[in-house]
Amino acid sequence: MDELKIFSIKKGIQEDNVKIANITRSELKEKEVFMINVMSSPGSGKTSTLVRTIEKLKGEMGIGVIEADVDSDVDARSVQNAGAKAVQMHTGGLCHLDATMAKAGIDALEVDGLDLVFLENIGNLICTAGYDTGAMKDIAILSVPEGDDKPLKYPMMFERVDALIINKIDVMPYFDFNMTVLEERVRKLNKDIKIFPLSAKTGEGMDAWIDWIKTEMKGGKSNESNA
Amino acid sequence: MHELGIVYEVIKIVDQFVVENQLLKVEKIVLEIGELSQAIPRFIEECFPAAVADTPYETTALEIVSVPAVAVCKSCHNEYGLIEHRKICPSCLSEDFTLISGREFSIKEIAAY
Repeated sequence: MDELKIFSIKKGIQEDNVKIANITRSELKEKEVFMINVMSSPGSGKTSTLVRTIEKLKGEMGIGVIEADVDSDVDARSVQNAGAKAVQMHTGGLCHLDATMAKAGIDALEVDGLDLVFLENIGNLICTAGYDTGAMKDIAILSVPEGDDKPLKYPMMFERVDALIINKIDVMPYFDFNMTVLEERVRKLNKDIKIFPLSAKTGEGMDAWIDWIKTEMKGGKSNESNA
Repeated sequence: MHELGIVYEVIKIVDQFVVENQLLKVEKIVLEIGELSQAIPRFIEECFPAAVADTPYETTALEIVSVPAVAVCKSCHNEYGLIEHRKICPSCLSEDFTLISGREFSIKEIAAY
């Protein structure tokens, strides 16, 4: 047998994921489809926020939603009823979507002719933050009952996203959630982040979030270097 | 727990390298994992045998080099361990820093015939 040799590889384990994500982004751009990756813990109101958002925007544009859940199609049906085209991906035991899975979702949805696509990631504040999906923008939703300490516990998510929705502000009186403290904690991790306090249930605060989407779609900067 | 998927990704990258360089057998894979990366070395080690079962890498050893999270203070330029000092510079107490290592997550090298 030949001599044992050491081969230096120095290859990032996520390099391929970033490559695939960048290809997805340029393909979507060519088709003029704007994709937003939506991340949060389970139960923060991803689907209900999307339903409200779709209701507000459907008169102006074609919207699609890629739902990723371990099982069931309840979310896909909700967003379809609201007026969006939807596909449900069953992700089994996976804890996050990577660029390859996101691409499979985009292909299944058939995005041609759509203007805006939401990628509703798996409910998880940790693993989802580590993967570029090929979206132009990444956002997170944190709901009031989860508490204002989450940026301290899961900093990576808050460091990475372009915008943060604080959902369920209608129940604020019943929880010890301090919006000022939350904002301080988030800005310490990510000073340019946009924060939108809203209630998907009552509709309060939705307009600022909707305006942000429209502005970003018009010429918002892309994520190209996002690793 | 997404370490198994990560190990499959590692094997895929190594396999490509083996084919491209026409190597015969891989004795060892060395990974570099930063303290702030998303992978936990102990879990990677635990799921490695499952990922390589019934593959040409069944007898390949896995070595993990842990890379500490090191920061440089933006105020006094002191270098300090980020996790140990909870993101606060021990010499001037500033919380403004530049990370110089700790996010690594790569295949450093392989030993092969």
